[in-house]
Parts: sequence; C-alpha cells; structure tokens
Amino acid sequence: MKRRVQGRLRTAVVAGLCGLGAALCGIALWTGGPAHADVNGRTGEVLTYASPVEVLFSPDGTRLYVLCQGSAEVRVLDAASYAAIKNIAVGRVPRGFSLSADGKRLFVANSWDDTVSVIDTGTLEVAATWPVGAEPSSVVEDREGKQLFVANRISNDVAVLNAQTGAEEKRLAAGRGASYITPSPDGSRLYVTHVYPNFKPRRTGMENRTPPEAEITVIDTARAVVAERIPLHNIAHGFHVAFSTDGRLGVAAQLHPKNLVPLAHLEHSGAFADTLTLFGADVGKPVEIPLDELERYAVRPFGVAITADKSRIYVSCEGSEIVTVIDVERLLRFIHTHQGPYAQDLSASANYVVARIAVGHDPRGMVLSRDGKLLVANRLEDTLSVIDTRSNVLSKTVPLAGPKQLSVLRHGEQTFYTARYSFQGQIGCANCHIDSTFDGLTWDLEPDGFGRDIVDNRLLEDIKGTEPYKWNGGNPNLPTECGPRTEKYFWRAENYDDLTLTDLVVYVRSIPRRPNRWKLPGYELTPAQERGKALFMRTADKFGNPIPEGNRCSYCHSGSKGTSQKSFDVGTKKATDNTGLLDTPQLINVALTAPYLHDGSAATLEEIWTVFNPEDKHGRTNDLTKDELNDLIEYLRTR
Amino acid sequence: MRDGARAVWVAVCAALLLPVCGFAPDPAQSVGADFIVTAAPTYEPLAALRGQERFKKGAQLLLVHEGQAEPLVPGFAATADANVSFSAKKVLFAGKQAAGDAWQVWELTLKDHSVRKLTTGAADAIRPLYLPGGRMVYAQRTPFGFQLESARIDDRAATLAMEPAGTPAVLALTYMQASALPADVLADGRILFEAGFPLGSGATPELYLVYADGSGVESYRCDHGHARWGGRQLASGDVVFTHGASLARFTSPLAHEERVAAPHAEYVGAIAETAQGEWLVSARTAASAAYAVKLWNPGAPAMEAVLAESGENLVEPVLLAPRTWPHRHPSGLHPWDYANMLALDARLSRDGDLKGVPAQVRLEMEDAQGHAVAMGMAPVEKDGSFFVKVPGDKPIRFALLDAKGAVLRHEMGWFWIRSGEQRICVGCHTGPEHASENRVPAVLLRTTTPADLSVTGKAPQRSTGGN
Repeated sequence: MKRRVQGRLRTAVVAGLCGLGAALCGIALWTGGPAHADVNGRTGEVLTYASPVEVLFSPDGTRLYVLCQGSAEVRVLDAASYAAIKNIAVGRVPRGFSLSADGKRLFVANSWDDTVSVIDTGTLEVAATWPVGAEPSSVVEDREGKQLFVANRISNDVAVLNAQTGAEEKRLAAGRGASYITPSPDGSRLYVTHVYPNFKPRRTGMENRTPPEAEITVIDTARAVVAERIPLHNIAHGFHVAFSTDGRLGVAAQLHPKNLVPLAHLEHSGAFADTLTLFGADVGKPVEIPLDELERYAVRPFGVAITADKSRIYVSCEGSEIVTVIDVERLLRFIHTHQGPYAQDLSASANYVVARIAVGHDPRGMVLSRDGKLLVANRLEDTLSVIDTRSNVLSKTVPLAGPKQLSVLRHGEQTFYTARYSFQGQIGCANCHIDSTFDGLTWDLEPDGFGRDIVDNRLLEDIKGTEPYKWNGGNPNLPTECGPRTEKYFWRAENYDDLTLTDLVVYVRSIPRRPNRWKLPGYELTPAQERGKALFMRTADKFGNPIPEGNRCSYCHSGSKGTSQKSFDVGTKKATDNTGLLDTPQLINVALTAPYLHDGSAATLEEIWTVFNPEDKHGRTNDLTKDELNDLIEYLRTR
Repeated sequence: MRDGARAVWVAVCAALLLPVCGFAPDPAQSVGADFIVTAAPTYEPLAALRGQERFKKGAQLLLVHEGQAEPLVPGFAATADANVSFSAKKVLFAGKQAAGDAWQVWELTLKDHSVRKLTTGAADAIRPLYLPGGRMVYAQRTPFGFQLESARIDDRAATLAMEPAGTPAVLALTYMQASALPADVLADGRILFEAGFPLGSGATPELYLVYADGSGVESYRCDHGHARWGGRQLASGDVVFTHGASLARFTSPLAHEERVAAPHAEYVGAIAETAQGEWLVSARTAASAAYAVKLWNPGAPAMEAVLAESGENLVEPVLLAPRTWPHRHPSGLHPWDYANMLALDARLSRDGDLKGVPAQVRLEMEDAQGHAVAMGMAPVEKDGSFFVKVPGDKPIRFALLDAKGAVLRHEMGWFWIRSGEQRICVGCHTGPEHASENRVPAVLLRTTTPADLSVTGKAPQRSTGGN
C-alpha cells in the first residue's frame, strides 16, 4: 500500500512537473516564436536550435552547406575553418537539399511549407521559392539541369518540375512516405526510398499481420519515368541511399521491424533489426545485411556514405548515436561466400563491421570530403562530428552557433530519439514513431497475451488533451504511458529519472500537428468537405430516423481533436481481442495514418464503414452511398 | 588436524602475521587503486559447483593499500567473495565468524568498518554480488546444491518503490537440481552465473545469464564444450572468463568465445579491470606454486607481479573503486503460478537439420527425486511453432517428436520459466545470435490459448525417455 502511494506520488510529481513545463512551453508559443522555437522550461526563455540534418560540400570543396531543420536555414561555413559565412533563411522544417549539376544553385525541400527554395550559390540568396507537392523531403536536379525531382512524403510521389521555372510537369508514384532521393553516379537513375511501409491492397483480410513491404523506386531521369521498383521485403522504413563511385554498389539504410512477433523481450533483436540493403552489380540480387551484434545495436541507420576508393561504408545510426564503419571488401567476400539470408544473424556483422564511432545526439546526414574527412550532422546536438576516415577516429566536433543551454523540449526530444534507455540500447521512442509521427504498423504487445490485442500504432501529433492512452484506454496520462509502462514492456530496462521523464513528456505533449494539406486557405471547406461535415454532424439518417446520440460520428469524435476521450464498443472486437471497449482515437491528420481501427484491420477510411461496420455500431453509415462516404472522407481529411 | 581447526589456525596466523611481515608486493607496480583479494592455502574454485567447499583450509580477504596487505575484516574465522558496492562505500562478502559456522553474507561499511549480517540461514550463502535496486544476488546452499537467490538489502522507501508490489524480500532465481553460482552483474542488468552444462544435469562449467527476477535464463553463448567460469564484464562490454586454465572472452560481435593471447600461465577465476584498462589476474606459472596477483596490460608480452605469498593462493581480486551502475531490470512477470512459452520455429537449431518433420512437442518436468515426468504433448505447427502453458519455477525440458512419436530432438539439460513469465524461443538451441524472423507464428493464427502442459490431467507419468 505504502509503495502504491509512493508510486502515485511519483506519477503525480511528474505530472505536476509536466504541467509546469507545458505551461512554460505554452508561454513560448503564445509569444509568437517561430514554429520551431524551443523553450527552456526552467526560465521560459525562447530558444531556437539549429538542428542540422544534412551537410554538403560545394563542388570546389571550399564551402560547407549545413541544412538546419530547427532554425529553418542553410548555414554556409568555410570548409577549412568551419567559420560561418552566411545563414540563409528557407522554409519551415527543411528536410533535404542538393546542389545543381553545375553547383550554381542549391535546392532546399521545405517540408512544412510545401516549397522548394532555390538558392543562388554565388550570391547566397534565395533566388526563387517554388510550390511543390505535400511535404517535400528531398530534391535532386538531373545532370542536364532540365528537371528537378522532388520526393513528397505525404502524397507518396516524386514530382518532376521544370528545373528552370519550377513548373510541375508530372508526378511519379513512389513508396508511402517518399522522402529521400539519391542519384546514381552517372546521374541516369534516381533511387527513392520512403519512410512508411507501402499500402497493401485488401486480399485476405490479414494484411495487418503480414510483413511490411517497401521499395526503392528507381527513376530513369532521361525519360522521367519509373524504371524499376526494387522490392524490400520486411522493411518498413527506408532512409538514405549511397553509391560507390563506380556505380556497382548501392547501399540503402533501413529499419526491419519484428512487429508480427509478440514483443515479449528485447534480447536477440526482439523488436527490430537495423539493416542495410545492398544492390547493384557487385552483389547481384539485392541483399539485406544486419548491422547489429549480439549485445550491441546500430539503432535506426539513417545516413550512408561510401568512400571514393570503395573501401569503406559509413552509416549513421540515430538511436545508437554512432557511425558504423564497414569494410567493403570483407562485406562483399562475406556475402559471396556465405549463404543468406543474413538479417537474422547477429554474428554476421562481425565479418564486415570494423568500427563503431561515437558521435552526437541523433546523427543524420553525412558527407565525405576529398581529403578523407567524414562530416556528420548531429541533429539534436547542433554539432558536426568530423571523422578521420584513415584512422576512423573522431577528430573534431564542430559546434554550430546557437543556444548552449539544454532546454526542456530539447532534452525531451533527445530522450525520445536515443536508444540508450532500452535493454542493450536496442530501441527508442522514434523507432515506432518515425520523425515523431507513427509507423503504419500493428504490434503484438506481450502484456495482453501472445497473439491477443493486436494494436495499431497511433500518431503522436498534438496529443495533448487526448488522454487516456492505449487502445483500451488503460493509461490515464503520459507520465504513466512513457514511464512505468514503457520501462516494463518496451525498454525492459530501468527508465528515466523523474526530470528526464518530465522533459520527455513535455516534448511528447508539444509535438505539433503537421499542416493539414486538405484544408483550403482560410479553412473554408470545399463542397464535398461541407457535405461530409454534414454527414459527420448529422442526427438523423437518410430515412429521417433519428440517430441515437451515442451512434453519431460527432458524439464520440467530438471536440477539436476528434475524441471524446471515452471508450466505446463499436463492434470491431475480434476473437483475439480481450475487450471491445476501445478508446476513441483522435482524428488529427487522420488521412495520413492508415491502417485504421484498433488493430489496423481497415486499410482505408472507407473500409471502416464498408467492411467493419455491418451493424452500424461504429456510427450509422450503412445508409450512405459510395459518393457520400467519399464526402465523409473528404471532411475527415481536413481534421 | 580437522579442516575446521586448520582453517582457524591459518586465519589466526594470517591475521597476526600480515601486519608484521605483509605480503610481497612489487614496489614498482601500481594498480592505481586499492584492491581486495582472497588469500587461501588451498583453492578449489569449481568445488562449489559440486556442492563442496572451495577453501578447505580457510580463506581471508585482504585489503591491499599501496602494496601493503592487511585483513579486510579482522576477527572473522574466514572471509571470501568480496564484492564492492557501486559507490565503493561498502563491500559484500561471504564470511564465517567462527570456524564451525556456515558461510553467510555480510556487508562491510568501509567508512567505519562496521559489518552487518545479511543472511541468517543454517546453510552456506556465498558469492554475493550487488544488484541495482537495493538488492543482492548470492548462492544459497539447498538440498539440490547452490541456488541463486536475490535478497533485499536496502529497505529505504525510495528503493522499495522501485520493486513491483509483492516482490518478496528473498527471491529464488534458479530452479533446478544442480548448483549455480553468480559470477557478475552485467551492465544490461542480467546476472552472469556459473553452472554445469547441460544446465541442470551436466558437469562442465558453463556461463549462463538470467534476469534479476529469475526470468529469461539462457546460455551466454552456445558454443559449448569448454570449461568456462569466473566471468567478469569489462568496461567495453566484453566478458573475460577462465577457460580451463587460460583466459578467453566473449565479445558482442561473435557467437563463440575468443581466446585471450595472455602470457603463458595458469589462470584462475575472475579478473579485475583497472581504470587504465589493465587486468588484475590471479595466475601461477607452475602447478606446484601458489596463485599470485599479477597485472597485465592486454597485448603485453608479460605480466608484472603485484602481490604474492608463498603457500597462499591470492585469488579473486576486486578493485576498491566506484563502478558504473548496471541497469535495473523492471520485472514484468504476471501474477500467475504458471508460465507460457512460444517457440517460433522449433526446427531451427545449431545442431543441424531435423531428420523428420516435427509434429508434436513433449514437455517433461524434473520431479523432486530427479525423475523426468512427462507433462503432456502439444502440436507443432507446420512452420515449427508451438505455444504451451508450462509449470512455473520448475525444471523442464522439451522433446520434438514426429507424427509417429519418434523423438527427433530433445534437450539435454533442464531450464525453467518463471511463474508469470511469457517466454519466446526463436528455435531449439539456435544460439543467441539467431534473431527472430518477422512473421506471425502459425500457432497464434490457430489459437492464442496455449496448450496446457502445466498440469497433467491425470497423475504425472514418469517419462521413459527416448522414443
């Protein structure tokens, strides 16, 4: 009893601290700071961190361009001294950038503004800002300077623009969450990865319990068409690709989840495999190789770089905060002399991983210099790690100008992205909440029983005020969700101290909602959205029969976030579910978060009503036509 | 002279002589910190795995300060098994106040040299190690040999709050009819322990792992066949141990042990790593000589003497210095008196391909008399998966059978699953290097209710083994 009281007291203390932190964050936002202004929760001072995510050298090697997501700018540094030359403001949450073939222009994908900034590298001024697709995440120009290719994360495609005017010419379908584009060394092909698993057409009804599938979309740049889709079986999240200079070896960084196996423990890579896919003439068919070891993991491989002499591959691993070094000759010898598959073999990496170099918090993009340096952008540390590739030793850490204090939000975000708190450092929050969002997967968590209560992962955006958490509503607040529950059933290792938990909770509560791409400027609704809204709000069906209050969309999905914060039985209980009483999920950016329902059994919003609502328990919808359901979807997309 | 009296005599002599003559340090050698070592006329390190006495002629813990050794706990008839707390303010040890006493676990506070007794049973309690979360693990003598137990040693409210409600003050961690001895607490919070291989039945010393709540027991590595004991984790995460009379190590990348190219000598027991990365080892160059403490810089061609004494084995050195706290394991056991086990693909094994298709799995439990009792059978799916409910906290083992009932593969030893534990095995002796494949096991598509093998519907039948 005494212990229970102490436990409650601890939760109450953390909740109180969270409230204080959140209040201070609220002050910062209220003062109208920039979208990514941060706050030191202990003083209320607004802080803006640089948060570097990508780094590039100018063609002559004299300048360094650093893409800073937090401060929304490109920082230009002297490549020798790292002295600042100029900071160039770009759009919100820039995620990717690249130089034109002639080096005269720098293109920046502004993911929250849906624009590309075109920077003149001679004047270091933004020469143009072009509207593009939804959540542009990387941008590459073809060798001839005719076309620009932009990966759009939300519209799951690659937009092809006229490189001189920015006019969009066509769209090419890519993987879900298309994000990173890498050209082949000769520029004839572009390789596009995506951060969410591909949608699966409904065939067996068990799509939510089959392995995720991803792809590398290969684009023929001359014809601007998709030339090939390299399938990545069992891969859910793809990140950077790199090529050897001879073009014979391609390497893609990726995450291989174990979401179909009950998550009972973490040892022996129980939750994720951190892997690379190798492709190209050197390997023949694509090969997946693991980076993890038996007791040491290379969590969330993100950036990849291959030395000019093809002797080494460098991989930045976000969660482990390291750069993994691979000996290419040993790697190729291994895959040519050992029969695969290798992804499940935790002793495989001993054959080719030759070093693991500690770098800063959340290492992301990397670039190699001509003189043998590897630069790594440490997003949550505002530093660049400089690694001497001859010795594979960290030779220097270059701080970027910015706040020196570690704010509540910053510390919380570092905690969210690191894997250090889990058993053997295997996973972090960001493993399942990619870039603080979701993962498009369903998981089988151990406490509910093996094979029981399969749960869809939910979006974290703007979740303040949507408690309780978990699909069964079993967790009353974030300190419980992120504290004891995470410690016991996810990390399988001791958790954070109270201050760290507080900072993490404040960060999670502050994760903003991405701009809604379906809302018109001024938040007017289209006619279809208006019709959908009327259906959402209706109190009687098409036949004039009143709809009981509890069976109206607007009753359960009430309020600005679309949740009444109560649990209901909407008739979706499966034989493997322990309860049919389910928490009402928020509707924030619901259009992005497929699959749907508590167990991810509905691949689309429409399936919620056409497949899983035969008795109208999940709202009165069986009187609606296909067109009306489309209207309803149009409205939901604005939430 | 009887052993007990001899032990007292040795201890008294040692206590009297040590301050006068001291041991023989090499003045040129500096370890960089004080250390504690066990001095014993005879040392049989593996005797405890057979339930026997390791220090038949007594033992005395010595504190070595700037090369000078003195008894760490004067007044005790015997002391051994020092383990320094993470803050280096206290020391756990096994001790006998009087020669006729059983070994008990004590804690010494270095500041005032006070001691307190932490175990009170009539049987021996040895090899204590600090655990995070205000507990310790040690080996308690039972009718089945030494078993690992965890005991609360810190009753402060903040410490108690870390434990799941209902956690007993003393918790059994091993459940088999063979001895186990804790060796180290790893950085990831698991307990490294020594026991015979095959577990629960064999005699070859091997290193195993278990979580601090007794769950998740497994071999550290599955390249069995060598005598491995005296494991100690280094700052790098590697585990160095005694392999026969030489040193070897486990590293994170490799699924098998790696020999340590140390100078030729006969090594015994765990090493201690200094802050500078050097190793304090206990070694001798001739079988007739006593073990002495030496310092070795890994890679160097030779060791340097630190402390030696003719006729006294100086073993089990531990540094008296703060060390990193291991992670605490938050127990996730359910309040059940049984356990569940899910095998993902029982066909997988380091032992090679099966000679048939497994159709069923048989569970056996070892009864108190050491007999194998058949608990029943459960189907094995085509993908090799099976899901069973088993008795918790009991020695169990599985055998795979084909459709005709012929045994295709069977476990050689015994293991246990804690009550309330839900265990997943990738295969049958696949080794820790084999990670799970991402697919729903077929058995869970058929049912989420495990086949109940936790009790037999009738009186348990004694297994005939084999087919």
